[in-house]
Amino acid sequence: MRSNQISTSLFSRRLFVIANNIILVVLVLSMLVPLINVLAVSFTTDLESFDRTIKLFPREPSTVGYKILFERVAILRPFLNNTIVTVAGTLLHVFFTSMAGYVLTKQRFIGKALLVLMVTLPMMIPFQMIIIPVFVMMRRLGLMDTLYALILIDIVATFSILLMKNYFEGIPVSLAESALMDGAKEFTIFSRIYLPLALPGIATISIFQFVSRWNQFLPAVLFINSPTKYTLQIALRSLVVNQELTSTTQQVANNTRMAGIVISIIPLIFVYVFAQKYFIKGIMIGAIKE
Amino acid sequence: MRSIGRTAYRIRKDWMLYLLILPAVVYFILFAYLPVVDGTNISFQDYRFVGESKYIGFQNYQTVFDTAGFWRVFRNTIILGFSNVVLTAFIPMFLAMMLNEVMFSPWKRFVQTILYLPHLFSWVVVGGIWIFILAPNGGIVNAIRGLFGADPVFFLVKENLARPLYIGINLWKQAGYVCILFLAAIAGINPELYEAAMIDGAGGFKRAMYITVPELLRTLKVVLLLNVMGALRIFDQIYVMRNEVVAPKVDVLMYYVYIRGLEQFDLGYAAAISVFIFAITLVITLTSRRLMKYHV
Repeated sequence: MRSNQISTSLFSRRLFVIANNIILVVLVLSMLVPLINVLAVSFTTDLESFDRTIKLFPREPSTVGYKILFERVAILRPFLNNTIVTVAGTLLHVFFTSMAGYVLTKQRFIGKALLVLMVTLPMMIPFQMIIIPVFVMMRRLGLMDTLYALILIDIVATFSILLMKNYFEGIPVSLAESALMDGAKEFTIFSRIYLPLALPGIATISIFQFVSRWNQFLPAVLFINSPTKYTLQIALRSLVVNQELTSTTQQVANNTRMAGIVISIIPLIFVYVFAQKYFIKGIMIGAIKE
Repeated sequence: MRSIGRTAYRIRKDWMLYLLILPAVVYFILFAYLPVVDGTNISFQDYRFVGESKYIGFQNYQTVFDTAGFWRVFRNTIILGFSNVVLTAFIPMFLAMMLNEVMFSPWKRFVQTILYLPHLFSWVVVGGIWIFILAPNGGIVNAIRGLFGADPVFFLVKENLARPLYIGINLWKQAGYVCILFLAAIAGINPELYEAAMIDGAGGFKRAMYITVPELLRTLKVVLLLNVMGALRIFDQIYVMRNEVVAPKVDVLMYYVYIRGLEQFDLGYAAAISVFIFAITLVITLTSRRLMKYHV
């Protein structure tokens, strides 16, 4: 009787495991097949890229798509612009937010409550809601149609300031105190003692900044007009979006369009592979704060 | 007198601290606080870049509420937003529970890694990938249909498919990210609860229903709140994927603000909508915080 029960439960367990894994395999394929497809098509010839076949591997591998991408579409300029904005923006972001985070760890100084409020409240004001006045502000500052506008936007963020503050608070105060005794200046304590000890926090912020700046879209749509200042996402959009509907523009073959996608995700995948643990850590902190 | 002197002394002593936080404060004044004030201000004006901007009271708001186009995009935003809020919370939760049943950990890690991947990509990339996949010439979906002798379908210009497709693609992009939150929460559940349930003879399904789900409610609340806050801000996906055929079904508030304000330069009108969205978001966020605190 009892062994009978166990064997039926074992059977249903096995059935569940099989069904469960089949569903997961299907899900993984729904992610992987499109990506493999994109990669394969980017290496096809013009003609093959329009074929109505399932392409997981190019029939006659060709780099003509990439050639056109760099020659006729001139993707290099947007790619470089994107790199400049991403690197400069990320470095400055880390610098400014860790400075602010450090100040917030200080126990008592005049105006602390006000400063805390001033740097946390903006979390409630999403960028999307203030695009009109921010646009007006950029005009006033004379930064329209410059890469500076893109570097400047999000140069500090409440999330990063609070994250750095948390990391700094984990550092024993005695370290700073003994440095103070030795006559070290505030900035020296910050840059020589606190910053190096908060490296994991810096890594987390940098990676998130890198990804979001690399993908930055709305600010580029708002602030950039001249093609020489296009960032990758803007250039990519006119390349990949709805060419069937606006066929008045010169036709670019599917292989070139997919090549554009491939080169714009390579840096992201690179970062993801090498820094996965910081991603998961950052996601957790982001959600817990809420 | 003496206390003023002391205050001044302390401020001077801590000057470095003020200097260090200055960039953050200046940034927030210029790009958060002033814009909120400016935006509200502009919404009451017939705003012009050149020449004088006249104050016109609530006229912009009046015009907004009188425009049929506004209510259409408002409806679209609510429909897409609500579906995104619900689906990208519950489905990742079930995904995490399924993933948690996988015993072979390299496989589990692999699935998790792959599921997260689309969240890394911009909407231009994700939109571009799906526009291609669903295209009639060269797209893989139509190629598969072709195997069964079906004629190619131009999915993205089917009006009645637009919303389900956009919602589904959003789920495709975000599910892996939300799933990680739930997986971490599951890992934090006290294993004794499961052991006790096993001794009581509860099967896998019962354990999931009576232990895992209740223990995940807190995370579910957080995820729902995060989703709600993002719901009315949909922009990138629509900007990238829309076309004139499906526009009546998918154009959303933020897209409308962008077009009216920065392409047609009707800034007062657009600012009025922004203020309105901001107010609604605040109300929705606060009420859902309340509701979830007291009723879940």
